[in-house]
Amino acid sequence: MTRTLANLVTVSALALSAALGAGTAQAKDFLLGSELPLTGSLARVGQGMHEGISVAVEMANRNYAGRHSFKVQTIDDETSPAKGVAAVEKLAGDGVVAITGGYGSNIIGPASEAAQKAGLVYITSGGVSPELTQRGYPTFFRINNTDGYALAMIGMLQEMGAKKVSIVYLNKDATSSLAKQVNSALTAKGVTVGMHEFDGSTSDFKPLMNKVKLQDRPDVIAMVGYENDYVGILRAAKVLKPQVKAVVGVWSLATAQMAKEFPDLMETVYGTSMLPYPVEFTQPEAVEFAATYKKLFNKDPDYLGQFGYVQTRLLIDAVVRADEAGTLAKGGLPDELRKTDANTLIGRVTFDRNGDNLNFTHRMGQHQGGKVVLVWPKDAANGTMNFPAVPW
Amino acid sequence: MFELTLQALFSGLLAGGYYATVAVGLALVFGTMRVINLAHGELVLLAAYVAYAAETNYGVNPVMAIPVALVIVGSASAIVYALLSRIRQDREINSLILTFGLGIILTNAILSIWKADIHSTSDPWFQDSLVVADTLFAMNAEVASFVGGLVLMAGVWWWLNHSWQGRAVRALSSNRAAATLMGVNPRKIEILSFLIAALLATFAGFAIYTGKTVFPALGHVLTVKAFIITVLAGMGSIPGVLIGAVMIGVIESLTVTYLSASLQELAGMILFLVVLFVSPSGLFGGGRALAR
Repeated sequence: MTRTLANLVTVSALALSAALGAGTAQAKDFLLGSELPLTGSLARVGQGMHEGISVAVEMANRNYAGRHSFKVQTIDDETSPAKGVAAVEKLAGDGVVAITGGYGSNIIGPASEAAQKAGLVYITSGGVSPELTQRGYPTFFRINNTDGYALAMIGMLQEMGAKKVSIVYLNKDATSSLAKQVNSALTAKGVTVGMHEFDGSTSDFKPLMNKVKLQDRPDVIAMVGYENDYVGILRAAKVLKPQVKAVVGVWSLATAQMAKEFPDLMETVYGTSMLPYPVEFTQPEAVEFAATYKKLFNKDPDYLGQFGYVQTRLLIDAVVRADEAGTLAKGGLPDELRKTDANTLIGRVTFDRNGDNLNFTHRMGQHQGGKVVLVWPKDAANGTMNFPAVPW
Repeated sequence: MFELTLQALFSGLLAGGYYATVAVGLALVFGTMRVINLAHGELVLLAAYVAYAAETNYGVNPVMAIPVALVIVGSASAIVYALLSRIRQDREINSLILTFGLGIILTNAILSIWKADIHSTSDPWFQDSLVVADTLFAMNAEVASFVGGLVLMAGVWWWLNHSWQGRAVRALSSNRAAATLMGVNPRKIEILSFLIAALLATFAGFAIYTGKTVFPALGHVLTVKAFIITVLAGMGSIPGVLIGAVMIGVIESLTVTYLSASLQELAGMILFLVVLFVSPSGLFGGGRALAR
């Protein structure tokens, strides 16, 4: 009897230790890599995306607690393509499972090529140039694209009934592509478009805006650039006061930061925005995202954080799926990411064979009294358009 | 067309004044020490951020922040001088490396303290438009900075030509050994030049904060622009800086108006190369050009 009991205890102990051992063997620590411009001219947007990535990792560690844990190793590319490549090579050498990050199509291009050579997945929301996905790299994924921004801007301009539009755009890859796409679409619809390209070093936009005012005489001014450019263009317009009905822009414009920093300049200006400001979240995941963001950074999330979060969350989910399927170590992560079909904070995400998210469409927000109100499309709007209206 | 040209010339003139304000401090230090201070743009930026901090945290008008900014930028400038003065060999090349490194440190310090967001004054007066003859348009900030910059540059020019210290600066620039034999203390004069450069940098920072936007990566851009203007002017020439800066401003502005805004930097560089091709020592060059 005693012997039988001893055997039973021994077998039970072995079974328990085997079970515990098996459990421990399955739990894994995953190291993600992130290459971002944390200094240099794109530091602001790079840091915004970095915040979103940090929130995704924090939430993943909470949601996968006891099963998996995640860390992210971040390298600053200093807004330099060469340093972006070096960062990716260093991350590959340090054994990261994949890379999330990247800002600026001119940096993402060579950096993702280095990731492709190293056999690493590179997922981003920081470069919308069509050339990035046209390369057909199997390891490259992107959750947004020029088409999504262009559709929003074109839709907004059509709703306004604009007949003459002046597009003032920065001469970089992504901004030029977007401006040209909007130009083609509007011209095809019979809208008269004036195109005005500028360099990133331009700080005085009055001569350019004077051309718009005296030669183009548009209904609407459309801006495609970054925060600095928007402020310069709007200041020049405020001084010269062209007779327009609206000023429309794209990314980095309809944001809480711009509303707080330049309230007089931004009033009634439109820009792409997934979120209103103050932020209103209703989905459970979005509420958790906003709460985590607030906890980590003591501020409301912006679009950069939102995009950084979504791309990283999708990556983490695919890493877990690939690991559970036993294909992670065999290079199965790209295939697993391509199976993604998720409803996220930026809408539905699926990837085509080039890694592009063809479902991506943006929304348009308008600065109204220190807030950002979503005004287009109608089904996403939380307010009405103040039109015609300009900041001066 | 006439209206476009007039506005282009007016905008170019104002832009030139702004460029000159940034560049003149660099030219002054080069004139006295034969040192290109590659941290000069970052010192300008530091002044701009001090104005931002004063306005945001204490509600102080950016004009009132100038004395505080002057103390801080002057102290930073004195530190740059103290480090430069320890260079014993190959001062011209080693000073480039040292000041470039100091510029990076300053940029990253600004990034750590004030983050990467863009900033500009929230005082609406600076952005209000000033219209001349219903044809020429500018912001109050641009005109105020242009006039202030001119006054400061005229003051520096007068000081160089009519004060004892100014003459000592020119003597040191002309022949360091002879000036020392004549009783000029090179260290005192050099640090004085650095402090005057800090004053100019402080005003330039104020001008940028009120008329443009500031962000941490701007310092390097300012240094490059100031360097181009200093070389174009003729290394160390103060009046040359103003004329060279206005030439660059006007050519950029005309290029935006008649060609494309994306070609304005190229136009400025072509002007720069043409001037150097015709006159290799710059517009007002020659070995020792200070105050000419």
